[in-house]
Amino acid sequence: MSEVTSESASTTETAEAPVRTVPAAPPARHTGRLAGPLNALAPHAKIGMVVGGVLSIVGAYLAWSTFVLNEGAYPERATLTMFVEPFGVTGFRLHITLLGLATIVVALLRVPAKHRIVRGLGVGVTAVAVLNGLWITVEGGGLGAITASDGTVAFGSIVALVGGLVTVLSATAGGLEDKPVWEWKLAWWVEWILLLVVFVLILLLVAEVLTSGGQGGVVNPYAGVVFLSLLAALAGAFAALNASGLLTWVGEVSERHRVFSVVVLLLCALALPFTGAGTEYWMTVASNIGVYAATAIGLNIVVGLAGLLDLGYVAFLGIGAFVAANLSGAAASVIGIHVPFLLVMVISAVVAGIFGAIVGSPTLRVRGDYLAIVTLAFGEIFVRSAQNNIAGLTGGANAIPNIPQVALGSFQFNQSISLGPIQLPGGVMYYVAIVLLVAAVMLVFGNLKNSRLGRAWIAIREDEDAAAAMGIRTGPIKILAFLIGAMLAGFAGAFFAHKTAVVAYDSFRFLESVTLLAAVILGGMGTIPGAVLGASILFVLPEKLREFADYRLLLFGLALVLIMRFRPQGIIADKHRKAELAEDPEDAAKEAPGALPTEVK
Amino acid sequence: MSESVEQPELEAPPGEVTAELAEDMQIATGTREPILESAGVSMVFGGLRALNEVTFSLKEGEIIGLIGPNGAGKTTFFNCLTGLYTPTSGSVTLRGAPMPQDPARVTEAGVARTFQNIRLFPSMTATENVLVGRHVRMKQGPVSSLLHGPRFRRSEAEAHDRAEKLLAFVGLTRFADELARNLPYGDQRRLEIARALATDPSVLLLDEPTAGMNAQETEATRQLIFAIRDLGVSVVVIEHDTKFIFTLCDRVLVLVQGELLVEGSPDEVRGDPRVVEAYLGAPPDEVEAQIHAGEES
Amino acid sequence: MSIFLSQIANGLMFGSLIALIAIGYTMVYGIITLINFAHGEIFMVGAYGGLATLTYWVPTAVVARWYFALPIALVAGALVSMLVAVAMERFAYRPLRNAPRLAPLITALGVSVALQEAVRVFYPGATAAIPFPPLFIQGAFVIPIGDGVVIRYTGILLIVVSLGLAFGLERFVERTRLGRAMRATSQDRDTARLMGIDPDRVIVLTFAIGGALAGVAGVLYGSYLNNINIDMGFQNGIFAFTAAVLGGIGNIRGAVVGGLVIGLVRALGGQYLPGGTAYDYVWIFVVLIIVLVFRPQGFFGESERVRA
Repeated sequence: MSEVTSESASTTETAEAPVRTVPAAPPARHTGRLAGPLNALAPHAKIGMVVGGVLSIVGAYLAWSTFVLNEGAYPERATLTMFVEPFGVTGFRLHITLLGLATIVVALLRVPAKHRIVRGLGVGVTAVAVLNGLWITVEGGGLGAITASDGTVAFGSIVALVGGLVTVLSATAGGLEDKPVWEWKLAWWVEWILLLVVFVLILLLVAEVLTSGGQGGVVNPYAGVVFLSLLAALAGAFAALNASGLLTWVGEVSERHRVFSVVVLLLCALALPFTGAGTEYWMTVASNIGVYAATAIGLNIVVGLAGLLDLGYVAFLGIGAFVAANLSGAAASVIGIHVPFLLVMVISAVVAGIFGAIVGSPTLRVRGDYLAIVTLAFGEIFVRSAQNNIAGLTGGANAIPNIPQVALGSFQFNQSISLGPIQLPGGVMYYVAIVLLVAAVMLVFGNLKNSRLGRAWIAIREDEDAAAAMGIRTGPIKILAFLIGAMLAGFAGAFFAHKTAVVAYDSFRFLESVTLLAAVILGGMGTIPGAVLGASILFVLPEKLREFADYRLLLFGLALVLIMRFRPQGIIADKHRKAELAEDPEDAAKEAPGALPTEVK
Repeated sequence: MSESVEQPELEAPPGEVTAELAEDMQIATGTREPILESAGVSMVFGGLRALNEVTFSLKEGEIIGLIGPNGAGKTTFFNCLTGLYTPTSGSVTLRGAPMPQDPARVTEAGVARTFQNIRLFPSMTATENVLVGRHVRMKQGPVSSLLHGPRFRRSEAEAHDRAEKLLAFVGLTRFADELARNLPYGDQRRLEIARALATDPSVLLLDEPTAGMNAQETEATRQLIFAIRDLGVSVVVIEHDTKFIFTLCDRVLVLVQGELLVEGSPDEVRGDPRVVEAYLGAPPDEVEAQIHAGEES
Repeated sequence: MSIFLSQIANGLMFGSLIALIAIGYTMVYGIITLINFAHGEIFMVGAYGGLATLTYWVPTAVVARWYFALPIALVAGALVSMLVAVAMERFAYRPLRNAPRLAPLITALGVSVALQEAVRVFYPGATAAIPFPPLFIQGAFVIPIGDGVVIRYTGILLIVVSLGLAFGLERFVERTRLGRAMRATSQDRDTARLMGIDPDRVIVLTFAIGGALAGVAGVLYGSYLNNINIDMGFQNGIFAFTAAVLGGIGNIRGAVVGGLVIGLVRALGGQYLPGGTAYDYVWIFVVLIIVLVFRPQGFFGESERVRA
């Protein structure tokens, strides 16, 4: 909390100045727990950080396990018991090495906010060491697995852990500075290139994260821990970058070139099939994420903008999917006509929208928790009816199977494509279509949010009576939120039906609604990327952590509780809601001319 | 942030801002006709008669004050005027037409209000709050909201322009991008007024606009309300602060136990013994002092 | 005719069970205006708690005698549910006492999922339905109307215990000092605090009582249907919530009447309405929507006064 106050104090000091200065580090007097040791350590912070970095690297190169894991090398080529390839560590050991090197370099250089940066790196090392050490301990049947037994020693994880902790402690002792603010303005083409590089890096990272550990637990028994370890390392690096103020700066640059950024991001998303994630499996996973992300954005209109809690929202995805299934010409459909896909999408959306308006109509009389229950009841009625094969439209327990693929002429969307020498995997066309769908849905959300209608929704969320007093016809506007949200879900449903080729009532149960809601909340309510991020996390994690499949929902439930307790605003906080927690001085110096950031005093 | 921000500019809105705004809003018709009228309005809650046969009329360009002891039915009367309550009997008319029985339509018809306990949209910026006020006067359907075409941009630009002028009018320009909840208390009240004015009202109803303000802020509010009148907006003010009312209003209505006790110019009301009597519970001399306090200024 | 009467009897039995759960909903909502979604899971946990006690900690010879087994299972179920409910209040809801309304509701969803999954993962065999031992005189008697109306003794037990507990609770809330404290807290927490009532204690008490009743309901449910599964909490929880709303939320007597109505709707709707038993749940949800939209204060609730 202390950094928040000092940060805002620094704003006010410099509010009029054209260049914002980086405030000096607060005097390193620590209070509270650990005050004694930290103050004692403070004069030696630099040495401490270097030592921590060195220890981390040493740890990375030591053996990590006293036995050869019987399921094979862990991970990839780096075996744990011996030091096979000098300088050739891979996997988590490479991550630790890189983090350790960065620690040493930053510690020795004159970099603004260096203690905060180093702390981020140290946390990354610590987390990676703990995760892998724990996993080996559990797998190896006790502490002997990471210390010494049968004549072999393997102190890698312990040394790395100590290194990480020393880094964190020394950095903290050195005094955590505020995030510096960078004012660089470069020529537009330099900034374009820079953004391009950043976005391509993000693309590669996403592909790396997606594919890390292979396809779930099926191929690689270590998939879960490899994935988590990569996430931990990335989190450390991310924290460091964020502390350096560079992330904020890149964010400002991309804000300056908004259209360019959006286009490049879209292209990057479309380029995913060309990366390591370009296999049919990952295309399917990514497509599924896309379907749920689009649905979650629709829900975000209802919940995030208009503040109306909908607990039966997945029904609209279901309605869209069943409509599409029935118009697909599938053998099991009672309607048995085949309608072109583009038209099917429109019809699905319209039908879902009509149901959305019906479900939303009680908002005219019901508010708050009671409205949530009404939507839940509608959702349950939908599932029950679908389960009972109502009017023969849903197939009941038999589902509607064998829905034909979307086809462009003779080309079916699940076929693979050859682009000269490059072979793109099957399902890539679905992926492309869904990326475009998500982009379109994001555009809809963004445009609506910044319009008269969006402001009316937010006003209703904030204070419905006051909104009415401003001339907002709250009833129709709330129903419109339901209608539009449901239409977006209906669109997604049409894709869902064709992509998965089977539509069953099972996919639209209450738990799915809760998951969608969790995606919106986890990502950050009311924000555009939030829902996508939330959906990605919630649908990638189970894919990645098959080992924990049994505990998946248990952890999910606990996570909901913990998020509400500790970060109710989600990962990407809405700019409005974020301000409740910390005043971020972002607007003050946007017009400042190209100036270099001032150094730490 | 509170320490570092300089004292708010507590002067009346600059004349040119007012003039420009008045031109944009085009409210005054210059007729001095009655705009808002109530005829025999009564309101009964259960067995309780909160309002009894209240009749009044507000002329264009007039500032009317509504005073009375606690529980006299002032806020109830306000709620009847703004469509929040449907009067048990009697009628409320706006320019001769019956008042719609729905807050949103009332606002659309040209009656805006502020709330006794401030009800801004706390997580929206000051500008956004005012933009919400523009809602009824903006022409943007769902489709144009979706596509952001040229017409959309024009209407957004107009709305932002008006919001800017309104914030300048109430002296909140420097808080334009600040969240409403972070504004100092007095400024929140001013923002509420700006938001109400954004609806282009011909009548503005202010519910205790100076509650919780110090003398300096109260004076600023008085100047602000005069400036609002100069925009061509007719104003009804509920207030406890009789001094404030007597120095502000053209006419004062005294409501006691749901009845309209006295109506007249500030001087007439101030001299009326029934008014003194009505403020029961307080010793007569203290009430006297309070009522006559307005004379000095 | 006999079918109709049988369905009435079935409806009342199921309804009195729902009533017992509904009391927990209604009391918690009355005090902290939280729809405690996880309350259905408390009911489920109670059933498993009772079953675990009988299966693992009590000699089979004792279980075989219903007059021993029944009280043991009821007390065990009530205790387990009570503990879980209190822990839930303490660790999940209390930190959110002053958070925006969405937060506790979503927390409740999370607790609900977590509890259900915890039982599924950690209770041996809970991935499928588990048989539940009979805890009362088996068999039934026949009322000789038409083809005869069969009434199971367990059903009678259900009704007697449920209504008895509800009646006792209402007396408790109306007559005792603690009950008065509860009513005061539900009216105005801050004022109650000024009057020397510790709202936290009252809230814990509320969760404890609601939890205990749900636990009893869980055990009775098991012995009535002879098997339990982890889904029982969610669905019956929603029914109970419907019952609580139907009776006017915050009102114990209302919850009981609401529960009985729900039972009858389900039994008769499944019998006589189109779609048969496959759609009986749908009718309950339809009732829920209609009540929430047209009479959200329920049968017994006062209509909300308009705020100035």
